[in-house]
Amino acid sequence: MSNRQVAMVIDLNKCIGCQTCTVACKTSWTSGEGQEGMWWNQVNTAPGHGTPKDWEKMGGGFKGGEPQKGVRPAQGDFGEGFELNYKEALFSGAGNEALKPIGEEPQWGTNWDEDVGAGDYPNSYFFYIPRICNHCTKPACMEACPRGAISKREEDGIVVIDENHCRGLRFCQSACPYKEIYYNHVTGHAQKCVFCLPRIEQGVATACSRQCPGRVRFLGFLEDEDGPIHKLVNVHKVALGLHPEYETEPNVFYIPPLSPEKFDDDGNPTGEDRIPLAYLESLFGPEVGPALERIKQGRADKQAGRPSDLMDTLISKNFLDLFGPFTNHPREIERIATELEREPVIVPPSIEIAYRGPGGSSQ
Amino acid sequence: MQSVKITAIADYAATTAAGWKQVPAETVEMMPAPVEMQPNGFIQANWRDRPYGQLASLEAQSVHDGTTIAVRLRWASEKPETGGREGFPDGAAIAFPVTGDPVLWSMGNEDEPVQFIQWQAMKNKIRSVVAWGIGSSVPGTPVSESVTAGWSQGHWTIVMLRTLAGGPEAATLQPGTNTRIGYAVWNGSNEERAGVKAVSADWSPLNIDA
Repeated sequence: MSNRQVAMVIDLNKCIGCQTCTVACKTSWTSGEGQEGMWWNQVNTAPGHGTPKDWEKMGGGFKGGEPQKGVRPAQGDFGEGFELNYKEALFSGAGNEALKPIGEEPQWGTNWDEDVGAGDYPNSYFFYIPRICNHCTKPACMEACPRGAISKREEDGIVVIDENHCRGLRFCQSACPYKEIYYNHVTGHAQKCVFCLPRIEQGVATACSRQCPGRVRFLGFLEDEDGPIHKLVNVHKVALGLHPEYETEPNVFYIPPLSPEKFDDDGNPTGEDRIPLAYLESLFGPEVGPALERIKQGRADKQAGRPSDLMDTLISKNFLDLFGPFTNHPREIERIATELEREPVIVPPSIEIAYRGPGGSSQ
Repeated sequence: MQSVKITAIADYAATTAAGWKQVPAETVEMMPAPVEMQPNGFIQANWRDRPYGQLASLEAQSVHDGTTIAVRLRWASEKPETGGREGFPDGAAIAFPVTGDPVLWSMGNEDEPVQFIQWQAMKNKIRSVVAWGIGSSVPGTPVSESVTAGWSQGHWTIVMLRTLAGGPEAATLQPGTNTRIGYAVWNGSNEERAGVKAVSADWSPLNIDA
């Protein structure tokens, strides 16, 4: 058991699907060999197939406390990594060369069904849902590993895989109901989001949070009563875990999306939410309806000039208020050399040293 | 099984070496490692209703030259599976008690470790590992282990070699004494790995010629 739990709240009303978080994560953590198709952070369109494809049908997690059968996703379900022909398309001088993947035509990838969504015009709808490892309170992956290679850190509840003990058996991939664990076929290890633990240990927010232009992600300890996480999850009760029925008690929470109104056949607004409540309940459980009502009330309060601590927290005018105790600047981070870290590259005019290894970005 | 004393182990290193025809073969009955013995509920949930460890038997032979022992295994395998990029390879292992009287199925215990010589089809080598219980295996004392392997006509044949001398984490095999040996086989094309395998029902006697 952990003494305290680091957690994240993601406000789906603010996410614009720009994938800056995805790239921040990619450049920080998964630029190595065997990680080409690895996205520890993904932003997918909902409703949609997600990453890996149709992951919500792949099982795992618990039911009534009992471990459930699960499918082990293949790399093809996540999508293979591919390079684009930047050189030819952008720098060759050939004006009619289109930007396209090099080599075999990819068949699937993260956010492949971007903006498809559901519903019929004019009542079609979608929203973006960023996902990372949920660093669950009851991690199915940890329970499934026969090697004891997965642990939950006492000091912050971050779930980590010890590559010295991992043998690439991948029972964790079947057990994780969120399918947030990848397999690195080069190193032979299971790999996943580490909640930027070298940053967290030094009071720096995760790369995905810090880089988000929409100020979508809140960080902090669940137990910290003055922090934004505790307020949004436990006080205002507007932040909900994804698929609570998986019973792993995820520690990434979501502010559910409000909807524009539906239109009737004459094009008049009907007052009905365009995103079906049943769909949101299928994602966030039965508490999502009351949570949406509380958010609507907060908005109404603000519009009427009444105070709303909920809205003030969600708006977060002060950037650093998003991050609880993790407000240190990334440039202050003390670099710890690892065997994976590559030689530093001096970036002119010597403003800073950029690394390409894990945790080495300046985000 | 009798480990027959011969003069030159090198003559038996190849899976097709003529000398093996003169060495008595023992048929070892195999069975799926019971699902109840799998180390956690997730592995049990995934494999409870899924057949695995279906190999009914394997053939085992052994020779030694006073320094090195060779164990030759042959078993039916529809197609050779190396695992490729994402799959799991065919595999086999022999086990010896390092000290005491460990239970084979539980891979030893805290005081009574078990040594495994494990082969996987995608690697042209074997490794000696030691375990003090399920999930605890780590590289053990090296015993100059080596292997040759070949698949032909629906069968894998492998010859594993190791020194008779052991160490703190490897069983010492003494000519003129009796010890025990256990077997395991993984069918990679069925995603078998770790405890999901075919195993011998218990230890078999291994009598090493003086």
